[in-house]
Amino acid sequence: MIEARELRRAFGGIVALDGVTLSIAAGERRAIIGPNGAGKTTLFNILTGELEPTSGSVRLGGEDVTSRRPHELARRGLARMYQRNELFDPLPARENVALALRAEAGPYRPFTAPARTERAAADAMLERVGLADRAGAQARALSHGERRQLELALALACAPRVLLLDEPTAGMSPAETARITQLIAALDRSLTIVIVEHDMDVVFRLADRVTVLHEGRVIADGTPAEIRGDTQVNEVYLGKVVA
Amino acid sequence: MFAGLALAVAALLVTFPAWTAEWESSRYATTILRDMLVLAILALSLDLLVGVAGMPSLGHAAFFGAGAYAAAIAAQRLGSDELLVGLVAAVAVAAVLALVIGLFAVRAAGIFFLMLTLAFAQMVFAVAFQAADLTGGSNGLAGVHRPTFAGIDFNGPEALYQLVAVVFLGVVLISWRIRSSTYGHALAGLRENERRMRALGYDTMRLKLSAFVVAGAMAGIGGALSAYALRFVSTNDVGIGRSIEAFVSVLIGGTGTLIGPVIGAAVVLYIERVLPSSIPFAETVLGLVFVIFVVAARQGIVGLARESYARVRR
Repeated sequence: MIEARELRRAFGGIVALDGVTLSIAAGERRAIIGPNGAGKTTLFNILTGELEPTSGSVRLGGEDVTSRRPHELARRGLARMYQRNELFDPLPARENVALALRAEAGPYRPFTAPARTERAAADAMLERVGLADRAGAQARALSHGERRQLELALALACAPRVLLLDEPTAGMSPAETARITQLIAALDRSLTIVIVEHDMDVVFRLADRVTVLHEGRVIADGTPAEIRGDTQVNEVYLGKVVA
Repeated sequence: MFAGLALAVAALLVTFPAWTAEWESSRYATTILRDMLVLAILALSLDLLVGVAGMPSLGHAAFFGAGAYAAAIAAQRLGSDELLVGLVAAVAVAAVLALVIGLFAVRAAGIFFLMLTLAFAQMVFAVAFQAADLTGGSNGLAGVHRPTFAGIDFNGPEALYQLVAVVFLGVVLISWRIRSSTYGHALAGLRENERRMRALGYDTMRLKLSAFVVAGAMAGIGGALSAYALRFVSTNDVGIGRSIEAFVSVLIGGTGTLIGPVIGAAVVLYIERVLPSSIPFAETVLGLVFVIFVVAARQGIVGLARESYARVRR
């Protein structure tokens, strides 16, 4: 469904990605783990078109989409949950979701008021992520955990084929983490999910396969059980986190 | 209730010359109000960029001036006093100019967008100054013919005022519809988080360009009315001074609202045109008022009014 081939990206003299190749099948749930600075967010930024690779290519659903712009990828069914929330802060949660729902129809209807049915659709999406009672609250008035939930709602409202989740549980309390993990686990199995996450319980709960990045390279790739048993991975990453 | 109130205000505005005829025979107030409405059209169009889409343009006079020149030159060269000819020429020229400038300007954001729009407007100013055969150069174009429409002659001060008032109301109506539409909501999304808009699948460059063209076309309407009202077009109409007038109107009145830019335009024009006859150093008052608003009341007059209303209700 989504494929990266020999992706390289350098920032000045610093090589963030040094030849990353990975292939994620339709309906697969893939976790990408690795220490800070391994290149996970750079990889996401390239996959979503926000960053151009220095070399290498990206394919989405069989089509070469290297250096396509972000909105073109979004229109091809790619949605993203950012590590640091990217919301419409002064707008109500409901309007945040409505903007996502409306993206498909396009904005060029200067004399058309928002459809009445849209409110119900937005509220249904908010209910799905557990924000039913916060629909009227400004995005900036929500708690950190609620903002993460809204961030997920925006991504889901695009009805994506591929969902990229950049540390969905970052900064969440254990209860919030459990809830959003449950939410992601319950998503439709046809949806391809790529997840960057530091919380190994979440990774091993959600992922079908795990790819380990270290210093811009893939050092391991396998099922959660295989990754757990990999000595090199334990050395560079897991050993430090899950003692 | 709100609709009724709006209709009443609209009716009072259009009939202003009639119900003030007794005490206002010199038509001074009518003229001032007319010019306030022209500036208000410019401010409303600019606010679509500044307040709604979050694109702070400091070159908006380029489109106002383009519209003014287009209406004047169309009347002169085509020998037509037909209102629609002038307005269509003004809108078309302003929109095309906005499209050309916008293609470059919308690639930048924030302060860089501001500087680019300023630079392009200065180029338009230079062209207006140099192309004396067409624009009259530093002399400007004097004696612009006032238009006629469907047999109505807008030559008299009352009739012209009413033309301006009706077009102003039309612009307010269009602005209102645009702002409450899905298009307006998308522009607001652009203002709040362009990155997220892209990630949702919006072509933000095209969206910004469209807003730039719509706002430019609207400013062109204001320019045409200015040409008719003053019967004169000059490089002042494309100059930085006019851009700043519009920008200050938007900021003083309150960005992102319909009423704010209108109130702001009225305040600016009052300070510029009426105050100097009653107090010395009136020219500095505008600067002072602007500083006060920037320092103490970023939300403008509308913001202040909302705050005090909220306080009273509590």
